Amino acid sequence: MKYFIIMALCVLCFLLPFFVGAYMIHVLTSIMIFLSLALSWDMMLRTGQLSFGIAGFFGLGAYASIIAVDDFSVDPLLSILVAAIFAALVALALGWIVLRLREIYFAITTLALSSVFMIFARNLSDLTGGSAGKVLYESIFKGDSIKIYWLVLSVALTVILVSELFQRTRIRFAINAIRDDEIAAKCSGVNIFKYLLFVFVLTSAIQGAVGALYAQQYAFVEPESTFSANFLLLPMSMALVGGIYSTLGPIIGAVVLGLASEYLKLVMPYGHLIIYGLILIVTIMFLPRGIYGTIANRIATRR
Amino acid sequence: MKRNFVGYIVLAIALFLIALLRPYAFFYGVQRGSLYGLIALPLALTLGIVGLLNLAHGEFLTLALYMTYLLFDKLSIDPLLSFVLTVPLLLLFGLLVYKLVIERSLKTHHLNLLLLTFGVSIVMVESLNIWWTSRPRNIYVPYASTSVSIFGVYVGGYEFLYTLAAFIVLAGLLLFLKKTRLGQATYAVGQNPRGAALVGINVKFVYAFVFSLAAGLVALAGALLSVRSSIFPHVGGPFTMKSFSLTAMAGLGNLPGIVLAGIVLGIAEEFVKSIPGYTGWADLVFFVVLIAAIVFRAFGRREG
Amino acid sequence: MKRLFVVLTVLIVALAFASTIKIGAVLPLSDITGRQAANAMKLAVKEINEAGGVLGMPVELFIIDDEMKPEKGAAAIDRLATVEKVDFFVGGMSSGVHLAQIPILKKYQKITVWIGAASYKCEEAIGPDADWYFHLHPWDYLQGESYAHGWRAIIQKYPQVKIEKIFIAYEEGAFGTSSFKSYQEEFELAKKGTGVWAGLMKDLRGAPFKSAALGGGDYRAVLMQAKQYNPDLFIWAGYDADAIPILIQAKEIGFAPKLFVGAPPGWPADFGKNPLSHGVILYGMWAPALKDVSPIARHFWDAYVKEFNEEPATYFAPLGYTNIMFLIEGIKKAGSLDKAAIIKALREIEYDSPVGGVLKISPSRIIKNQGFRAQKILQWQNGVQHVIWPFEYQTAELIYPFPGWTGK
Repeated sequence: MKYFIIMALCVLCFLLPFFVGAYMIHVLTSIMIFLSLALSWDMMLRTGQLSFGIAGFFGLGAYASIIAVDDFSVDPLLSILVAAIFAALVALALGWIVLRLREIYFAITTLALSSVFMIFARNLSDLTGGSAGKVLYESIFKGDSIKIYWLVLSVALTVILVSELFQRTRIRFAINAIRDDEIAAKCSGVNIFKYLLFVFVLTSAIQGAVGALYAQQYAFVEPESTFSANFLLLPMSMALVGGIYSTLGPIIGAVVLGLASEYLKLVMPYGHLIIYGLILIVTIMFLPRGIYGTIANRIATRR
Repeated sequence: MKRNFVGYIVLAIALFLIALLRPYAFFYGVQRGSLYGLIALPLALTLGIVGLLNLAHGEFLTLALYMTYLLFDKLSIDPLLSFVLTVPLLLLFGLLVYKLVIERSLKTHHLNLLLLTFGVSIVMVESLNIWWTSRPRNIYVPYASTSVSIFGVYVGGYEFLYTLAAFIVLAGLLLFLKKTRLGQATYAVGQNPRGAALVGINVKFVYAFVFSLAAGLVALAGALLSVRSSIFPHVGGPFTMKSFSLTAMAGLGNLPGIVLAGIVLGIAEEFVKSIPGYTGWADLVFFVVLIAAIVFRAFGRREG
Repeated sequence: MKRLFVVLTVLIVALAFASTIKIGAVLPLSDITGRQAANAMKLAVKEINEAGGVLGMPVELFIIDDEMKPEKGAAAIDRLATVEKVDFFVGGMSSGVHLAQIPILKKYQKITVWIGAASYKCEEAIGPDADWYFHLHPWDYLQGESYAHGWRAIIQKYPQVKIEKIFIAYEEGAFGTSSFKSYQEEFELAKKGTGVWAGLMKDLRGAPFKSAALGGGDYRAVLMQAKQYNPDLFIWAGYDADAIPILIQAKEIGFAPKLFVGAPPGWPADFGKNPLSHGVILYGMWAPALKDVSPIARHFWDAYVKEFNEEPATYFAPLGYTNIMFLIEGIKKAGSLDKAAIIKALREIEYDSPVGGVLKISPSRIIKNQGFRAQKILQWQNGVQHVIWPFEYQTAELIYPFPGWTGK
């Protein structure tokens, strides 16, 4: 029964573009981009690792995809896979070193790495176009916003699926064990490092793919905007507001904050960000488990 | 232990060579690095004692700068003296933020505090933007651009105030934490909050105190910075992550390390900036040194 | 049947009278330039409607904040096109945001009159076939060319001025780097004896800095390089947050070139009050002083101050006003809302703009409809921005060389 509802929802999502206008399609596509980033960040968080690197792999993927299409005539759709693989390889190479760190040290190192990626993008002008960036002749699917929406929706659904797999299969126990108590987990025979590396590489690949989607949609990359801290701070906020350590949490957070930020500014042209900041503060103060977390907790305690 | 000692000797030699070959880079690095260290110390305090990464740290600096500007513009109070007013004001503001926003959520997931301070930073930046607009303000005092001669090298003199302030604040904090009762209690809370509560320390009071103190110390940095920097809503933001980087590089609880890390990074940055053709890579040096320091320390601990 | 015909005609005519001309603007409202451009646009629309509108219809302006984020700027275009159903797009500031908007604009191909985006990358992205696209802001390379004309004229009038050795300190982002790039391209041509800088520029050096607006603010390493090079002309290409700190640090290291030029998009509020500012040359499109030499500039200044109780702070204010007025003039001349007719009209009209210059469309490197091609050379004197060149707008004589730091 539950699967029937989920299937129906998916079909509804695919059919949505035919019922709403171009603007709503655009907003929803943006929300799904941030949703995927929020979920990937949460998946890493479930292992106990706070990553500040999402914007870095997002940017790497964006650049890989644009360079693949522009300099190597790769098909735009394929370039997204290229971007994911590239991000995964970089994560694999760096993960060996970086995943030995914990807590704030892991966080700051991933943040530093993101900045390093940006500096390379800015300075290797022959490859990346330097500070001015790179522009493609046209967007993927020649700018057809419905096809772009379907592509981003497919990727988002895949990420949701992966996230749920993590929550349901044996992986979940390993990850939760690592998060709760690494030493105990190690004693129980869990190969911590293998799991951390796996999750790190996978989430980085997702971030790279999402970066490629964004770059292909708007047909450009530019160091300042492609590596913007917004791609770190907004997904984090969405996951926290929606409820971390879950799949539905980041989804709810992305939808709520994404729609709020778009409509607030239409109602309040000046100062809408103040309201946005207040929403963040008030939500966490009164719903410390996030929106979904609070609901799930209520349901659980009622049983 | 021996490896550490060798590392410091190598570092000292490298710095000495830089001072000899590129004295300007050395002095500018010391100055800028001290500024970073001075601003990082309060963040390290809250992170170490309260366990809270204050994402609004830079915005406290921005607020202090605007207050200094207001006092200078409307009441002609010299910025270096205005700290007498701005420090207590920021202390109160920090206390307000702590009581209203932070305190309730201390027992919840530690990442909630991150989001809370992020929200506070957004509200602060946007409020300042509405009030002042994004157009920068500046304070002009003639002494902000004086030069001094050190071993025949003409260097800007004002920014050595950052170095002086950094060492004074560092010494002050160390003395406070070791010699005063409140300081020892604060240190204990940082080490083990539950244990500290068990022995009767008022942990809530310590948290409020540390958060407010951090805001006040930031105001001090703001007073010094106000005559050298433009003042606009986003001016403080970049300092948050810089402070966080220094804290991580030095290691939690290592306050002198933060000032040292700041100075070393400052010198490294300025050194690269002074090489024609490589100026654009100076940023990279900062992050590479940061990552290297963190990674080597982590590996060192493992093998040790 | 006849009655149906009559009813339909009445309905259509009624709709035509009930309808308005809808203009959609996308601007960064959180930034002072965007905010004032939006105000100026509202002022223009108010004046037009008070004068009876256009083609008998009132003008409706919709403004959406792009929040300086590419995806928000792009979504704004989609919204204006499909929800507010505007007929025209105006506005713009950031090149990065515009890059994301260009694919969306190409979807609708409505007449677009853009006042932002100076980066040549945007011109590349638009391409040569966009007849519906009008770009009013001078491209970065056009700005560079115009300064050559300016300096040539200035050297003729003031023969003691020399600009053979040029040093550019540029902020490391897209804005600064493209400014430097245009100078480099011109230098390559000048070395061969061609291009607009031939005979003027004999040597060029440059170094990047991190702008204070983005967490930097320490220029001493770059200024030391400049001091060692000893240029005739020193230019810094950064933001308003860099203006005073770079002066303070130049004074600190004793660097006082004969020509100290700043080229930020805007200036900080207290720059004039600062005694170090006297003699600083600036590249810009507009100065408040223009109200004393240009009647339309005077009209705009007075009307803006009266309406919004603040002074225009950057050239984006008169440029926003120009944006609307130029478009409306085109519609008036076309006499209808027919797209081809308006495009033709816009290409023909000449609009005397409060920015200080006549706006006329001509092709640039790639696109057909480029507006302003030149900036101005101005100088801060005793706290006021004065126009030095073009001479028809000159409001003060050039102070040369740069007075330096003694006694300040």
